[in-house]
Parts: sequence; C-alpha cells; structure tokens
Amino acid sequence: MSVIADDDHIYDVVIVGAGMTGGILAKQLIKAGYSVAILESGAKHGEKWETYRDYLDQFYLSLAKTPNSPYPDLSTSPSPSVLDITSVRGTTPDTEGYFVQQGPMPFGSNYLRAYGGTTLHWLGTSLRMLPADFEMATRFGRAVDWPFKYQALRPYYELAEWEIGVSGEVAEQTPKAMGIQTSNPKDNDGYFAKDYEYPMHKIPSSYMDDYVAERADGLPVDMGTQRHYHGHHKKGSDIVAAKVSNTPVGRNSTPRGLGRGKKGFKVAGKERAAFQPRGATGAFSFMGQRCEGNSSCIPICPIQAKYNAMKTLDDALTEAKQRRIRLHIKEQSVASRVELDDSQRIKGIVYKRYDFPGVPQYSMRRIRGRQYVLAAGAVENVTLALASGLCPSSHELGRNLMDHPYMMTWGLAQDPVGAFRGPGSTSGIASYRDGVFRDQKAAFRLELGNWGWNFAAGSPTSNVMQLVENENLFGAELRHKLYHDVQRQIRIGVLVEQLPQSSNRVTIDPSYRDAMGEYRPVISYDIGDYSRAGLALAHDACMQIYRQAGIKNHTRYNPSDAGYMTYDGKGLTVFGAGHLVGTHRMGTSANKSGSVTDENMRTWDHSNLWMVGCGSMPTIATSNPTLTMAALAFKAGDAIKGALK
Amino acid sequence: MANKKKDVDDDAIEHDFVAISAVLTGYDRAELYGTGCVKEYLHQFRQVLPEKILREFLEPGPSLYADIDTARDEVEMAVRSHYLASGMLGPPARALIQLWYLGQWMPLPAKWRNLYGASRFDVTRIISTRAYKEGLVWDAIGAHPMGAKQQGFGAWAIEPPKPKALP
Repeated sequence: MSVIADDDHIYDVVIVGAGMTGGILAKQLIKAGYSVAILESGAKHGEKWETYRDYLDQFYLSLAKTPNSPYPDLSTSPSPSVLDITSVRGTTPDTEGYFVQQGPMPFGSNYLRAYGGTTLHWLGTSLRMLPADFEMATRFGRAVDWPFKYQALRPYYELAEWEIGVSGEVAEQTPKAMGIQTSNPKDNDGYFAKDYEYPMHKIPSSYMDDYVAERADGLPVDMGTQRHYHGHHKKGSDIVAAKVSNTPVGRNSTPRGLGRGKKGFKVAGKERAAFQPRGATGAFSFMGQRCEGNSSCIPICPIQAKYNAMKTLDDALTEAKQRRIRLHIKEQSVASRVELDDSQRIKGIVYKRYDFPGVPQYSMRRIRGRQYVLAAGAVENVTLALASGLCPSSHELGRNLMDHPYMMTWGLAQDPVGAFRGPGSTSGIASYRDGVFRDQKAAFRLELGNWGWNFAAGSPTSNVMQLVENENLFGAELRHKLYHDVQRQIRIGVLVEQLPQSSNRVTIDPSYRDAMGEYRPVISYDIGDYSRAGLALAHDACMQIYRQAGIKNHTRYNPSDAGYMTYDGKGLTVFGAGHLVGTHRMGTSANKSGSVTDENMRTWDHSNLWMVGCGSMPTIATSNPTLTMAALAFKAGDAIKGALK
Repeated sequence: MANKKKDVDDDAIEHDFVAISAVLTGYDRAELYGTGCVKEYLHQFRQVLPEKILREFLEPGPSLYADIDTARDEVEMAVRSHYLASGMLGPPARALIQLWYLGQWMPLPAKWRNLYGASRFDVTRIISTRAYKEGLVWDAIGAHPMGAKQQGFGAWAIEPPKPKALP
C-alpha cells in the first residue's frame, strides 16, 4: 500500500474542477476572504499566450475540426470525443471512446477536462431560462418543478451576465420581444429587472440572419395540439408566428457606456461601473478585444473575445494575490475518492497528482477543507461521487441525464447569403421556446448557423471534394461553382428540450477504468416521445420556413447515422449539443427522496458537500445551460459563504 | 557545379509546377505565389510522385498556361484528355487541385498506388498551419479561413462579395 501524503494546509473550501463553476465560486469566496483550493484533472496548457497559440495551431492542423480538436486529450485526464459516437447495437456496450455507451441511443455530447473546462470550446450563447421552465410539473403536468421560481434566480442571472460579459439588448430579449406566446401571459412582466441592462451592446446580426428574417418573420406555424374545425382554429389557437431574434452571447462587443446623468448600472441590486471587457489571458493579453469574426467560436476563439473560464480564474488569482488570501489551483490532480467521517461529513479528498501530462504515473495525496464542492460537470461529478459512495439516500444520483437533442436541417438559398463569416450563430428563432403546447410536446429553439453546412455536411471541404472528384471541375469553373454552391448555404439547428427520465443515467462499473485507474462514465440514454414530437414539429417548421424563403431543402438523414431515430414513421438524425444536465438535481425539503441536493446545491446526505453545475438543474428547457449554470454558481456561492460563517 | 545545376533544374520544375497548378486551380501564377505555399506543396508532390511521372505531369504546364486566355476551349480539351481522363495523371491532378484549395493532401487511390508505386508521404494531412489558412477555397467562396484572417467586428453583417465573373 502506498502512503497517502496530506497537503499541509487546510482550506476553507476545496473545489473539484477549474471550469466556470469552480472559477465563479473561487472568485466569490476569495472576495469574501476565504481560502480556496481547486483540484483540476487536466493540465494548464492554455493559460499562457504561447500555449494558447499551440491550441490554435493544433486546430489548424486537425483534419476533423471537432469541439475538442485544439485541446490535448490526455490519457491521464481523458475527455469524450464526438468522433467516438457510434450506433449502440444489441446488448454490447460501445466502449470505443472514453464513455461506455449502453444505449439504446448513443449519448452524443462531449466536454473538456482542462484548465478552463468546456468554456474553451463553447459557442457563447447566453440565454436565460423562461419562467415556465421552472414550473414544468405545475403548468404542464410534466417532469418536476424547480425548488424555486424564475424570479428567485433573476438577480443571479444578472451577476452571471456581468461575470461572463454578455452582449445583448434587454428590449430584444423579453419573451414577448422574442415572439413567444408564453404559457402564462404574465411571464413577460418583470422578466428583466427595471432599468437592468446587459454589460455590452449586442453583437450585430449576420447578413444571413436578416436575409432569413426578411423572408420568414411572421410565418404562422401550427403547433398542432388542437383540433381543426372546418379549417378554422378555435379561440386560443396555438398558431405561433416565427420571429428571428438576436441571441445574447458571452462574446465581447462594445461595452455599454454610462449615459448622461447615469451614475452606474444596477446589477443584483448594487450599483456598478461600466463593464470592463477582458481580453485574452496571459502575459501578452489584448485588453478587451472585440469579436473580430474569426468564425471559429467552436472550437476555439483565437483572440479570446469569447468568454472562457480562464478569465474568471485569472480574476480570482489576481484578487487572491492582492488580498494575500490563499488560492491554490492544483492542475494535473485527479480527484479520486471523497472520504467520509462517521457523521457522514466529508473529511478529505484523495487525489492523484501526475507530473507529466499523458503519463499515468502519479503520487497519491489528500487535501482537506471545511467545505467541499464538486464542480467538475454533470458526468464527472457523478462518477467521483459514486466511486466514493456519496449521496445514496435518494437513489437519484447519476439519473435524469439530459441534453438538447440537436437536429439540423440545411438548404440552399436563391441568393448569396454570406456563409462562413462571423460568429457561429448570431440569431435564432426563439418563438417556440414556450407555449401551451408543452403539455403535449417539447418546446424548442431554432438556431441560425452562420457557417453554411460546416456542421451538417463538412463544408466547404466536402464541396471541394465533390466538385473535383465527382463533378470533374477544374480551373475558373471550379472556382466559380464553389462560390455558387457554398455562398448560398443555410443551416438551421434545432435544440429541443428533454424531460428527466430515471433510466437516462451515468453510472460506474469496475470493468471500465481509465489509464489512471479512475472510473469511466457508463451511460444509458434514450430520447423519449415528448422530445421526438418536438423534433418532428421543429422539422416541419424548418421546412415551412424553407418554402416561404425559397430555400431548396438538402436535408438528408441516413439510417446508418449514429443518432438516427424515428417518430411517427419519419426518420431523423440527432447529435448531442454538449449540454449535459440533471444528474444531481436540486429539490425541496419536502421532496428529499427525489433529489440529490437542496435548492442551494448542498447535498442532503453530507452537510459540508455541495454539488454545483449543470447537473443541479431539474429540467433543461430550451436555453443553452451555461448562463443558468453560472447563475447557480453565484447562488451556491452565497450559501457556502453562509455555511462558512 | 553540381549544386548549381540542381538549382537550375529545381527552378525549372517549380516554374512548370506553378504553371500547371494555375491551369488546374483557376488562379494565376502570382496569386499562387501569394499564398507562400509553392515550395512546400511542390515538396509534397515530389515526395509522392515518381520522378518520371512527375516530369510527364509538369511538362505541358507552361504551354497550357500561356494559351489559357487565348485558346480557352483548346486548353480545356487538353487538360481533360491529358490529365483528368488519364489513369496515371488524373488522380495526382485531382489531389493537386485539392491541395491548393484545402492545404490538405488527399491520398491517391489504391489502384493508382498499385500501378505506379506507393509513397509513405501519400497520407491525409494538412501540410502546415499556413497551408490551412491559405487554402484557395476560402477566397473562392468569398469568406476567410475559419479561425484566421478575421474580417473585423461586424463584417459579417454586410453583403457578401460578388462572385468573380467567368472568363
């Protein structure tokens, strides 16, 4: 037996995971004067300017420019890859990648285990959830309610938006402005606090956004939940007009200035100065550079105009240094076991420290604190907790795994639309994010993509191959046809909500371990009829938009696709959206048996253990979960500060 | 002396290589030199093609290039018969076009390798970070390489460039 060496210091808080949640918590706790240690399984490759350049070069040289392609995949801290997703057949799990996939559907999402976490490759979409999303059981008889309502999270959304640096216009982001016929007409009231403003002006919508808006805005889409009588809809009909709206994003644009006579911006009840955009981390950082349209938010923003958690971690380190408070971020340190004392409180975390990235030779150490936070993402939080025998009472740990099943449709417009310029997406059609139809079928959001068929069909590489190898073009004709074929590409992504389902789960199995001897996630996953009905409706909506806008449909779904499935006799293909949610959900004290943590993300079973992140969310709804995760981190931070007093 | 002769020979090969590349890609010689990738693409091409086939491939380059503006139809016929329809020169021609457009080498078909010899350099790869950024496809589609040569804040909101007129 090897001896486990204890770290010298006992910290106020020990956090697992140097991503966005861990970063926000660390920054808040340091500000309040508490010492913090963070265990990060990955290496600190990207924090310096030179090493970030290495990421970029790796992206240029990658044949498959997947979300994780710029970043090292270390055997000492493996990450799932979208290239490993295959159909799961029969009863044999697919063990090709890091995930052990039990099916029946493959779980198509990934994440990144590195300093800064998955925010290194996120798109930046920063939509708030809607009031109805917190009350799915009450309003629609579906899934569960959150332990609190939208208004309780609203101040934390403000903190999150100012932490990330979100670019958007309040007037364009209310449910009403987005064209949503909310399930409760009052949802629009107070969606934003009076006088609240986003820290930066919106990112301009793309030429293509306007092209689609000009042709499709106002298009009536039938949600199909009511009977038709003689061709007429009854009162309260569920016809919803499509409306293209700009998407708020964590991407630097122009900071909002203080107008004449205005003293500050009100954020969560406190006055603030104008937002100071942050640029790239590292010694040669560019301060607050705006988005320059590099067209590669996923997988990497070359100038870090897009927010990533390294910025918050940087803030925390600076604050700690100035105030002489201990903040120790331990990279290359894989949390292995959480240890309990007799009263079911955490007494320490044993971790494996490796010296060389990718070389699975390590020493065992133990770190101790007063409070402990698991902030390693919805999957890694669960594998660590299960490996340590934590949170057994509710039997919910690891269950209710959700994602946004992500379907694409694509077509060719009649005119050049400016594909392959600008951020991945600048607008969407949010009109279908809520409505009375949600008692029957899933709500969804349509995302307008700015990069042609890049995600859908590998353009423009695939176009070059097609024209050269099959259409036998060369010279000026080739050049001309490429313009013709690619400039007009339109792609709409569909993000549909998924309900919590206990059989969709992450678990562990001693048969499946990584090179460090840690448990690999074993995943069972399926997509229910509620989501499939929403996907079918979304597909119809896309086709209706294409007909209206004169866009020739080129969408093809192949039964050999890993994510192929059917609904109502029609086939469609889905991918993962990288939105891993729900595995350690919050609940009320009245419903302890149905949840892993309380509303502040403190585990029911261990009074000094908190599980924070997207895994905390009881339902996923239709917004990309990162902003909500950040808001939850602020909420949990307040409660942890209270527990430390 | 030997080195000097080699240099002269290399210059001639490069001259012919750029000429036939211009004919096949639809970009003129100056534009191809403008990518800064001529030498590394030629290097890749020579590593894959046996010397004899290389010579045969390059030889018609200059005359085709010279005629491209005055005798377009004849050049097209010649390219199709000498290159695209040829079992020996067709696959390298298509690989070369894609090399220029994508900065990426596409391996030759197995049949070609069986007939003319396999090279260990005949593997899929992006030649260099520069090659990725200089892929002609980005210019051809009126955009910029994803992740490089950014166009500036808000450029995505303006009307895209018009297509180049066909000669």
